[in-house]
Amino acid sequence: MRQPMRHPLSGQRLKFRNGLRLLAMVILLSVLQPAPPLVIVGQPQEVVTTHAIFGVHTRLTDEVEEWKIQRSLQMVREMGASGIVEFFPWAYYQAADGSVAWEHPDMVVNHAHAQGLTIIARIGLTPDWAKPPDTPLTYLDGGSYDDFASFAADFADRYRGKVDFMIIGNEPNLSYEWGYRPTAPEDYVELLQAVYPAVKKANPDMTILAGALAPTLEPEGSPWAVNDLTYLDGMYEAGAADYFDGLAVHAYGLTFPPEVEPDPNVLNFRRVELVREVMLAHGDEATPIYITESGWNDHPRWTHAVRPAQRIRYTLDAITFAEENWPFVEMLAIWAFRYPSPTRSYPDYFTLVTPEFMTKPIYDAIQSFTGNE
Amino acid sequence: MRPRRLVYLIGFLLLILLLGGCKADGDRWEQIAESGVLRVGLDPTYPPFAVADGDEVYGLDIDLAEALAQEMGLEPQFTYFGYDGLYDALTTGQVDTLISALVVAPERTRDIAYTTSYFDAGQFLVVPIDDHTIAGMVDLAGQTLAVEQGALGHVTALEWQRRLPDMAIAPYPSVDAALEAVADDSAAAALVDHVGARLFMRQATTKLPSPLKLLPDAVVSEPYVVAVRNGDRTLREKMSAGIEKFAKAGVLDQMVDRWLGD
Repeated sequence: MRQPMRHPLSGQRLKFRNGLRLLAMVILLSVLQPAPPLVIVGQPQEVVTTHAIFGVHTRLTDEVEEWKIQRSLQMVREMGASGIVEFFPWAYYQAADGSVAWEHPDMVVNHAHAQGLTIIARIGLTPDWAKPPDTPLTYLDGGSYDDFASFAADFADRYRGKVDFMIIGNEPNLSYEWGYRPTAPEDYVELLQAVYPAVKKANPDMTILAGALAPTLEPEGSPWAVNDLTYLDGMYEAGAADYFDGLAVHAYGLTFPPEVEPDPNVLNFRRVELVREVMLAHGDEATPIYITESGWNDHPRWTHAVRPAQRIRYTLDAITFAEENWPFVEMLAIWAFRYPSPTRSYPDYFTLVTPEFMTKPIYDAIQSFTGNE
Repeated sequence: MRPRRLVYLIGFLLLILLLGGCKADGDRWEQIAESGVLRVGLDPTYPPFAVADGDEVYGLDIDLAEALAQEMGLEPQFTYFGYDGLYDALTTGQVDTLISALVVAPERTRDIAYTTSYFDAGQFLVVPIDDHTIAGMVDLAGQTLAVEQGALGHVTALEWQRRLPDMAIAPYPSVDAALEAVADDSAAAALVDHVGARLFMRQATTKLPSPLKLLPDAVVSEPYVVAVRNGDRTLREKMSAGIEKFAKAGVLDQMVDRWLGD
């Protein structure tokens, strides 16, 4: 019987086609992903706390997954914090054509609002199109103040009724936070003068916070920073008083217990009282303070750290101290609730919850302290 | 194009890509060897690994750096940085290596390579010296575990408590207090960090009502490693080989014992 004739390459062609099919399958499988978890904002919740002054600085700016944003904010509420401070970087959202990607801030604001949390929004960082080339994101000069003000006004308008507090910039007394330029209070006051009326026009209910100045003992003439008390005095001299409704303050305890007396030559928790003295010296008794970053660190090697048990005790004592002694303080927010991923350095030891949402004993202690056990 | 040729062509292109990816980016071993100096960056604020005292610096990391440099025929030259500045110092070429109680940071491995570990600073169990019933966390069901309140050992104990609900956790304000609780029989074991446990046992074992021992396996491992730039493959290989050689010969144990031992 005659065998059918086979083309000499037909077997190889078959193998080649099968190989191609296999390759196509591999590529297809590699791009297939499970559907993201369905997250709904849910029913409005209410914070239960015996210490309404207590808040926490969250770090959701770089958190991508919605369920993690929601889980963070649920845990903040369950801990008994009445509110959050959160960073909303202008540079992340607004393109050169003026369009704004609101998806991520919408997600954060809506979830925080649903948890019943007060939101203090810190606005900062300059997009590339609003600053000279090769300058850092912290570089914002007078030429872009109106653009920044316009974005802040849009933000205030969009989140009316959900976000009632806004901080303009961050630690402007540090050269690093001022685009690695010499920093002067007059420049920051000019920024406030541009932003304040624009935001108030868009949302008259928005409380605008100035600052928050970095506590620092830098000597006069230092290229790195201006002493916070000196800088604040300079802000008042430059006419800042009419352009903010509250002062944001950073109050870290470093290695000192919270009750240690304030001293202009020492950085400790009660430096807040020296800040208040500057305000009073300018007749600004009516303006409240919001402590938007505070706390202690329990890293085993950082020179400014304390032991974990001390950190817990100091944190709870600080909240009590502020409640009992500082009627001018509206919020005391602890830095920081959680980071999306570990820094593998001392900042990890400021947090209350691990990136995997495991609560640290300090979280449990605060939760018990606020009556949420 | 005929299929076979196409396959060969794709294979050839893949090979080029692969070889390109394997290219060593700036292995500077020859320059280092020629200079005769190993520039070591460290943060000298972490006893007993590195402590600066005037012009002097001493500690376990210093001993290791000196031994590794000698092994490679080099002289160590120490430069101090703050903890946060260490990696920048390495990537900008101010130093050749970092020997500073560092842990592996996976997110840095694009620029940084790590050697074999020379010390595990993780969380370890400490039990009475005559105890033979506890070899790990699973043996603590129904027992009391002492921890330093708020520390990583405490967090780890809370995680384990989900699996061992009848394990009681007793938090103490310090590592020393947690270990004293084991010594006076208030707790069956303590879960504390390796360095804290060794330092306590070095200073206090003779004064305790009953001596303690550290179990050999970490409950949570935290290996300390040496860091080099990614391109410096030869340096990394030589340092890893040195650490392995010291470990086998017992030299590493001697260094650890000098700073943390009895």
